[in-house]
Amino acid sequence: MSGRRGVGIVVAIAVLLAVLGFYNDAVGLPVYYLVLAGTVLYWVTQSTSWNLLSGYAGYFSFGQGAYIGVGAYTMAVMTGRHSVNFLVSLAVGILLSAILAWVTGAIAFRLKSLRGEIFALLTLAVPFILAAAAMITPSIDGGQGTTLPVPAMPSWIGDFQHLMFYLNLIVATVAVCIAVVVTSSRFGRGLTAINDAEDAAEVMGVPTFRYKMIAIVVGGAIGGAGGGLFALQIGFISVETVFNLTIPLTVIVISVLGGRRHWAGPIVGAFLIVLLQDRLSSAGLTAWNPIIFGALLAVLVVLAPEGMLPKLRAHPAISLGAFVLVTAAGFAIPGMATTDALLAGVIAAVVVASAASMLPRTSRRPRAAIDARRAEPKTERVDASAGRSTDSGSAPARGGRPIAPANPQVPRSSARTVVECHEVSRNFGGVQALREVSLRIWSGELVGLVGPNGSGKTTLMNLLSGALQPTTGAITITGRPIRGLAPHRVAHAGVARTYQIPKPFGSMTVRDNVAMAIMFGRQAPSLESARQQAGSFLATVALEHASNSYPNDLTLHQRLMLEMARAMAADPEVLLLDEALAGLNPAEIDEAVTVIRRIHQKGIAIVVVEHLLRVLHQLATRIVVLNNGVLIADGEPSVVLTDPEVVAAYLGRSRPVPAAEGGDDRA
Amino acid sequence: MNVVQAVLSGGLIGGLYALMAVGLSLTWGMLRVISVMHFALILIGGYLALQLNSSWGLDPLLSIVVTVPALFLLGAGVQWAYDTFRLTEFNSLLVSFGLLIVVIQIATNIWTADFLGMESNRYAVGSIHLGRLVLPATTLLAFAFAVVLIVGAHLVLMRTFLGRAMRAFSQDRAVAAAFGIHDRTLAFLIAGVAGASAAVAGTIFVLGNHIAPTVPYNWFGTVFAVVILGGIGNLMGTLWAGIGVGVLSGLVATVWSPSAEPLVLFLAIALALVLRPQGLFARSRVT
Repeated sequence: MSGRRGVGIVVAIAVLLAVLGFYNDAVGLPVYYLVLAGTVLYWVTQSTSWNLLSGYAGYFSFGQGAYIGVGAYTMAVMTGRHSVNFLVSLAVGILLSAILAWVTGAIAFRLKSLRGEIFALLTLAVPFILAAAAMITPSIDGGQGTTLPVPAMPSWIGDFQHLMFYLNLIVATVAVCIAVVVTSSRFGRGLTAINDAEDAAEVMGVPTFRYKMIAIVVGGAIGGAGGGLFALQIGFISVETVFNLTIPLTVIVISVLGGRRHWAGPIVGAFLIVLLQDRLSSAGLTAWNPIIFGALLAVLVVLAPEGMLPKLRAHPAISLGAFVLVTAAGFAIPGMATTDALLAGVIAAVVVASAASMLPRTSRRPRAAIDARRAEPKTERVDASAGRSTDSGSAPARGGRPIAPANPQVPRSSARTVVECHEVSRNFGGVQALREVSLRIWSGELVGLVGPNGSGKTTLMNLLSGALQPTTGAITITGRPIRGLAPHRVAHAGVARTYQIPKPFGSMTVRDNVAMAIMFGRQAPSLESARQQAGSFLATVALEHASNSYPNDLTLHQRLMLEMARAMAADPEVLLLDEALAGLNPAEIDEAVTVIRRIHQKGIAIVVVEHLLRVLHQLATRIVVLNNGVLIADGEPSVVLTDPEVVAAYLGRSRPVPAAEGGDDRA
Repeated sequence: MNVVQAVLSGGLIGGLYALMAVGLSLTWGMLRVISVMHFALILIGGYLALQLNSSWGLDPLLSIVVTVPALFLLGAGVQWAYDTFRLTEFNSLLVSFGLLIVVIQIATNIWTADFLGMESNRYAVGSIHLGRLVLPATTLLAFAFAVVLIVGAHLVLMRTFLGRAMRAFSQDRAVAAAFGIHDRTLAFLIAGVAGASAAVAGTIFVLGNHIAPTVPYNWFGTVFAVVILGGIGNLMGTLWAGIGVGVLSGLVATVWSPSAEPLVLFLAIALALVLRPQGLFARSRVT
């Protein structure tokens, strides 16, 4: 759904609800339903606030109570103790809540390791700290709590419950509209990429830090708005009512139950949970509320982490049918409350949709096509394991065909410098991983970077992609110094990389994985045009047939190819391939070599880290050797690989080089 | 003088904090699950001791004979569920939170939401006087139990074959399994021991405090502070951190205000998380 259309639908529904609320007496709707609807809207607001960072970007937070608390206490203190207008107080509460979110994010997101459970625990601490601060500050709470007056309002609004309904409706509508716009925007795609594979997203050009900051601040502002209304609604605020653990857990249950990756998830979840709680309470089963709640959380996380919304959307017709049928049946039964009928209808829809999702589906992802491809006869191979050829030149491996001759080396006079490292060193504590490495890479080159384990190859790759900063020395990419640039900026300067262990975006199709790289590349086109361009890159790596598959359905080899397609799609000047051939069988290595060569022919300079010297020997136009962090050789493959120093460093003993290359150096 | 008393009492109560935290630290560090269900186990341990005392007049310290095996089984059972559903570290936090809420509500249904205390509790009355310093018997007991149990467990871990297997297991479960360590059995054993420690912690808690179903929420700050500051999975670290957190809490409560205790504790947690997030886990060497 396009953002504009979605916002239109949400606003239209909100207006309809507002009109219904205004004429509630005329249509025979008791005020009780307004209060109930207000509660649903309140939780829609909070869950949407939580979703922005925790749902879309995957940074689960236990700190929702902090935003509610700041909004609520601002409202309570300003209206209750200083008689400020409630709308002004609401605005101040939103601002303060956003500032709290900004501070939390600025601390947490500076550190890469603050993810997952560590981030969750940090956010768990925030409401406790605020609660204690409120307790010891008499001008805020001081352990007494704070009472709020009923706000003054124009008479046309009706009574207090009408006012609260409208306010909650407005805030929830704004929140949902923000979520609609976010999920259909490039920002939303970026958040999804952060959820799936944050490191890969960053090196592909997604400004992850800025995106997370925007998500947490907007989420904080929305949460603070809802908190302010909550204080108005209940009229008395104490530390226990806003800073308790039930709030974050309710929010998590609602979001996870509804579906945390879609803007409509909180609506489904809040509707179901609030209705359920209301029915249990009115049946005198209040004590069952937490039990059902806790059990739901435990069971959902295990069985349906994606929530109900994807299931409902997968089977819209029968879900809606079940809802209408059961609700109508409920209405038909005399004496059954409307809410009971509604709840029964929603539960029926959820149950039917879940059951339908469990049935095997006929039109699954085209796995068969992938399997068929894997079974194709393998004719070409770089016989890596058997290659004990004694020639030192570019002669064919025994039993294999010759690898096509490498591109003639581009004369350096006409080539541009793409990468320049000037006396780059990098220390880790007392360990010197790289020592004054100077290196220049020209356009059109295909450089093989080799060296024993621990020689600094990966460190150099990380320095070039901006993941690490050099301790001393300077690196420039196409003449532009990259010191201090975040990896996504380095990506825009023209560096793309692949990972040894592929890091695809699991929730996106193969095509969208590539489209992401185009979308966040230097041209920054729209998603639609990026999708159209993605096909040609997939064709280059021979993955076109799997465009609509998901990365989980691919083999390791195919995932490595996807990595390359993504990297290429970023339109780089230089492509860094980190052990791109590791773990592949000889036939797959052969295919990968063909692909690398195709990418090279497009004019992209390539640096490839690889242990298979025999492959590199024939693929690379130049070989650079690192040993103990020092660059010990740089030049023509056949010259470098016969250099006695290189042989000694790499193999630890003196031996004719080509004869020593074989499958065993993969171990 | 007040400050000396605060430091001393705080340090002794720290033994209770260490007892409460050691099980969580053990399962988090070795099994890579963040089981806040551990708080529920402590709660159950406390209520069981209380119930056995009021129904059968059983001495609270003797009731450990009943509660320790019971909670050993319960702890192992919960771990069985985590293992069966192959929960990730993060999901275990969510799932166990759900379970904690369920247990708290069930406890409310059985024992009401009110604070209950042990009647005819001879440990609560006794105390030792050192000059003007007062050392209540309950805190001395807490400290003694903590030192004996945690140092004992530490020695088992460091000096025995079983302990070596456990440490190997904590470093890489899959590899340890490949070398012939029966990983699921060992996981039950570790989780069971954690459950047993919860029984002791619960019993010691009700000796000196009143208990209500929602007290686990009040334990969160203290216990997580002890686990994180002590190094996740580090038994001796937990003991030292327990004593340290106890002293800190006592000092803050005396010098500033009891309400400021959570502020200081949670700031300490936040600082620890921000300043040494990758150093949270204890580095144990397998020799």
